[in-house]
Amino acid sequence: MTRARGDGGVRFAILSAAGIVLFPFLFHAINGYAGLATQILMVSIASIGFNLLLGYTGLLSYGHAMFYGGGGYVAALLLIHFMPDHPNLWLAVFGGTLAATALALVVGALAVRLYGIYFALLTLAFAQMIFFVVEQAEGITGGDDGIQSFPNALLPIGPYNIDLGTALPAFDLGPFGNLSDIKLWYVLTAVILYVVLIGMRALTRSQFGEVLTAIRENEERSSLIGFNASAYRLAAFAISGALTGLSGALRALYDGTISVESVGIDRSGSFVIYTIIGGVQTLLGPIAGTGIIMYLESVLSAHLGYWRLIEGLIFVAVIVFLPNGIVGTIRRNYLARVAKERAPSSRALLAESLRARPGGPTQSAGGAEAGPERLKND
Amino acid sequence: MVALSQALLNGLVLGLIYVAIAVGLTIVFGTLRLVNFAHGAFYAIGAYVGLVVAQQAGLWWGFLAAPIAVALFAVVLDRVLLRPFYGKDATSQILVTFGIALIVEETLRLIFGSTTQQYPMPAALTTSVSLGAFVYPAYRLLFAGFVIVMLVLVWLFIERTDYGLIVRAGVRDRTMVQLLGGNIRQASTIVFALGAAIAGLVGAAASPIYSIAPGTGFAFLVPSFVVVVVGGLGSFWGAVLGGILIGELQSLTTLVFAPGANVIIYLCMALVLLLRPQGLLGESEVIRQ
Repeated sequence: MTRARGDGGVRFAILSAAGIVLFPFLFHAINGYAGLATQILMVSIASIGFNLLLGYTGLLSYGHAMFYGGGGYVAALLLIHFMPDHPNLWLAVFGGTLAATALALVVGALAVRLYGIYFALLTLAFAQMIFFVVEQAEGITGGDDGIQSFPNALLPIGPYNIDLGTALPAFDLGPFGNLSDIKLWYVLTAVILYVVLIGMRALTRSQFGEVLTAIRENEERSSLIGFNASAYRLAAFAISGALTGLSGALRALYDGTISVESVGIDRSGSFVIYTIIGGVQTLLGPIAGTGIIMYLESVLSAHLGYWRLIEGLIFVAVIVFLPNGIVGTIRRNYLARVAKERAPSSRALLAESLRARPGGPTQSAGGAEAGPERLKND
Repeated sequence: MVALSQALLNGLVLGLIYVAIAVGLTIVFGTLRLVNFAHGAFYAIGAYVGLVVAQQAGLWWGFLAAPIAVALFAVVLDRVLLRPFYGKDATSQILVTFGIALIVEETLRLIFGSTTQQYPMPAALTTSVSLGAFVYPAYRLLFAGFVIVMLVLVWLFIERTDYGLIVRAGVRDRTMVQLLGGNIRQASTIVFALGAAIAGLVGAAASPIYSIAPGTGFAFLVPSFVVVVVGGLGSFWGAVLGGILIGELQSLTTLVFAPGANVIIYLCMALVLLLRPQGLLGESEVIRQ
């Protein structure tokens, strides 16, 4: 209640923009290639959406692949059937996202009445249904083979039709690669991710976000105050599904193919893994988790047949030892240290109270109060 | 007509596998309120331990070794990793057991490779029996009888022993059992190991029918969730009824419209969750976890 709004917003906006711009170059220095950087940013959009549900709303969906793959398939099918001659990226991505949102509204309307295991199992049931429908409807979706190729969508801006496969001009950056490693795909994805990130920050700090948290912590009390918990849950579910659909649509168009695995149970599990490892209830955790796992997968799976075993071990280790995830743990330690530094020592407090005595009660030290409050909300 | 009776029999065998996996899931949920995504891993470990021992010492030794090995694994898992999660929310439990399932599956892949493997079968078991209009593999009938005997034993355990009493009471009201001094902890370890042993045994016994690969455990787990949900989480007879219903439904749909066989069971699961979340035979108090 006492927290100042917009606190650190500008700093966050600048630092995250810098991070996204510098990422592919720093990534190059650790043997990550620009294409993978693009994919990481794309999938991160889904992880951020997934975290709105798991972290901020407290609902574990075990079926988010239906939105991811659903968005991808719809985008691909729109290109093939409706605009083979003038493949428009905006329309394909918008269509895929819209379809995922509609699906999320339907599934969400049914699912938000359930809790815990029942919620997880219902989302799993719907995702499995969609998976088997996609797998069996060979005439439309290509079945097990997926859709191997579809028109390369162009991005119309004004009179220009931009091919996102175009590279930036060449400019040698030493250990950080070359500017021409970066294709316009990265630029578009970066802009979208940035908007999503800033939007999610505003959303989770808005009244909407606070009500979600209140419902997660104590639904009964929130309902008694007069909040319609189901409506809030449904809204969170729909936004989450929409972002996941957006991510899947972008990824399908970027890859130029889509496979049935994109609607599969392992894909649903991957969002769980990314978000938990990075840290639920943090803005950057889902991005960090997605980046770390996709990077390790790319580096290790080439040499190690048992990469997924390592992934499983990391996942369980994080659950057991770092329940707040990597970003959550770092944030917690940092805030605890800041709070400690700001809090005056007991001697200083004693001295202050002695000094204050003649003049009556004074306000307690501001720094000490700010500590736990910040810990909870920031 | 022949096709129909064959489909019914296939459905029964498939259903009995589901029942045997679901019974473990359901009694563990009933006693521990633990939602175990690693239960499929027990099936897979049993299948592979059974395979190795069967190759060395013969099929029957494999069937003996599988449940023992899996029960031991479950006890270690329970002591080392799962204990702190029993009191936690369903989400944390799903996450940690999902992680364990991942690790087990990939460890099996590391040891045995990704290829599907076949069990060595004694010639006497590869014969078929004539059932009037059609012949049916003898081993499948043997398997069905075997699972039924095992279910009777589990039922006797639940109905006739003190541990079973705690299990049954725990499904109704866990807190009350603890208040009255029931040792849920000790019972829970035993129930957890028992559920795992059943899954391990079925893993070994079913693998001569359905071949094994590292992902088989998880592949059987997901439909087993359908079974438990349809029957009612925590209910023994619910698992039995749900398993046979789902097995038959899947088998009969395959006969009529094969592409719909998998879709329909998840549709069934969704409908039950929405219309009767406690399941056909479940206790309504269990729902709000």
